[in-house]
Amino acid sequence: MSALDVGAFSAREKGVAGLLGGIGVLLLIAVVAGVLAPAYLLYLVSLSAMYMLLSMGLNVQWGYGGLINFSVAAFFGLGAYGSALLTANSSPISGNVSPVIALFGGLLLAAVLAVLIGYPTLKLRDDYLAIASLGLAEVVRIFILNENQWTAGSAGLTGIPLFFADWPVLGDLSYPYVFQVGGTALFYMRQPVITGLLNLVLVGAFVAGVYLFLRRIHRSPWGRVLRTIKTDEDLAETLGKDTFAFKMQAFVIGSLIMALAGVFYTHLVLYVSPPDLQPITTFYVWVAVILGGTGSDRGAMLGGFTIVAIQQGTRFLNDAVQLPIGPAPLRLMLVGLLIILIVRLRPEGILPPERELIWPDAMRGDGDE
Amino acid sequence: MSEQSLVSDGPVLDKADPVLLAEGLEKRFGGLVATDDASIAVERGSITGLIGPNGAGKSTLFNLMSGFYEPDGGRVTVNGVDVTGKEPHEIADQGMIRTFQTPRKPEDMTVREALLVGPHDQTGESIVPLFTSPSTVEREERRSLERAQEMLERFEIGDLATQPATDLSGGQMKLVELARGMMAEPDLLLLDEPVAGVNPVLADKLAGFIEELNEEGITFLIIEHDMSFIMRLADPIIVLNQGSVLVEGPPEAVRSDERVIDAYLGGPSE
Repeated sequence: MSALDVGAFSAREKGVAGLLGGIGVLLLIAVVAGVLAPAYLLYLVSLSAMYMLLSMGLNVQWGYGGLINFSVAAFFGLGAYGSALLTANSSPISGNVSPVIALFGGLLLAAVLAVLIGYPTLKLRDDYLAIASLGLAEVVRIFILNENQWTAGSAGLTGIPLFFADWPVLGDLSYPYVFQVGGTALFYMRQPVITGLLNLVLVGAFVAGVYLFLRRIHRSPWGRVLRTIKTDEDLAETLGKDTFAFKMQAFVIGSLIMALAGVFYTHLVLYVSPPDLQPITTFYVWVAVILGGTGSDRGAMLGGFTIVAIQQGTRFLNDAVQLPIGPAPLRLMLVGLLIILIVRLRPEGILPPERELIWPDAMRGDGDE
Repeated sequence: MSEQSLVSDGPVLDKADPVLLAEGLEKRFGGLVATDDASIAVERGSITGLIGPNGAGKSTLFNLMSGFYEPDGGRVTVNGVDVTGKEPHEIADQGMIRTFQTPRKPEDMTVREALLVGPHDQTGESIVPLFTSPSTVEREERRSLERAQEMLERFEIGDLATQPATDLSGGQMKLVELARGMMAEPDLLLLDEPVAGVNPVLADKLAGFIEELNEEGITFLIIEHDMSFIMRLADPIIVLNQGSVLVEGPPEAVRSDERVIDAYLGGPSE
């Protein structure tokens, strides 16, 4: 293992990048051929990016610190509902708040819940967080389902604005929007495509920001303490590390990233309802992290992408060939098969962390390489 | 007889400058009394040995002093600070670092990464400074890396720096543990059976390293079953039996003390 190749890509990463590029080209061909609507492609890519956020969030908790969180759906849901309750015109609480402000509302809600659930459980053995979070996810979902006066209950929330709805220029484009250079019209785009593009830019910014943030904290003394906690909490304690504080920080950061995905989801789909908080989301995200490679940010992103590929790909499969099995059960079967294959063939995931996680600048001038 | 007067009946607590002072520690597990009024003092600059037959309560005492067990009674002081009932990491902050009987090895880390966990109060352990003062973090990291390499070379395992921390022999793991403990710049190192399962050649080396570090001012408290190792290294030696201190004295005197021999042979301890 050479420590200096931090910027370079391994053969495996090149392979994965090639595969993703290939899929991208295929999708583009499908768009050009008219099989796939451009707006739908943009939606798919945005959805993948949203799952990447969820997996990166779980990776901070489980991949870095070994925290077993089974309430991914709840933190996702809090972000989604927090933002929806503030912005939707059908909101029973407030409504019509600017999405940018509501973003922080959703995050705050998730952070508060993360601290509340983390405080009593993170001092105990690992298993307790797993059990408590499993219960928590259902409590949050059922609360939202039943407390009509605050959450609109099973009807869900409609009338949610786009994220850019009240932005200066982006908020009041006229459609179809004509791109022109020096008065000559080049081409035009319809509203769904423009909206899809803007959403993609938004989630792209979220993913890039989160990735850069995580890369920094993962390859730092902070990340190193968490990785020590993951294998041996007692060891970290004997070296004078306040493991409770470190675990709490990882738990809150992970939950915030999940909530960020939820906020984006609200403004992507423009409708949230209690089924969005089904536990199945949690398990999809777990599969994504394990598939990608526990503890690896890039792996988590790849896993998030794969999950969407399975979820959405199975829809088309049914159109293309006559299957004796419906898309929903097929989806679950494929996920199950995938888990078995990974555990059998590559338990460390597709892109496990391969390098020493030391910030590269600190190693410059290191004579022994 | 001169030998008789060298061995103290029970612990010697009135030492001039104790780094660690444990008084009247008690721990019960249900009906089982693991330590009963155990008191020890570790003089600064000494290598103190802690021996005793199996089940005497040596590891329990370590766990009580390092904060892993909550004592049912008694008091622990490190460098004059009362740390009774404190969390292990708070006790470590006072300058006392312990190792474990079975070496602890973080997975997915290289040896030098595992060592970099050692230093106390690293700026980069907090999230905000990672972004607001990256140059401080980088400077500390560079320094820690250098120290880690020095420490590994000193223990003659410099070539292991970029090996996975889990791919080591038992003896190498013990060395890495010692090196990691040293990264924390402790005043006192508690070693729990440092040569258990280590071949005699490496055990000899380890003894040499411990002596060297001791000359540089590190105090040691060592649990060990290997008598020749502990007798060569430690002075004084504290003998624990049935949860409390039986005798304390210099190695030669302890070795020939009747009460100690009886305790090991399971005879009457009177």
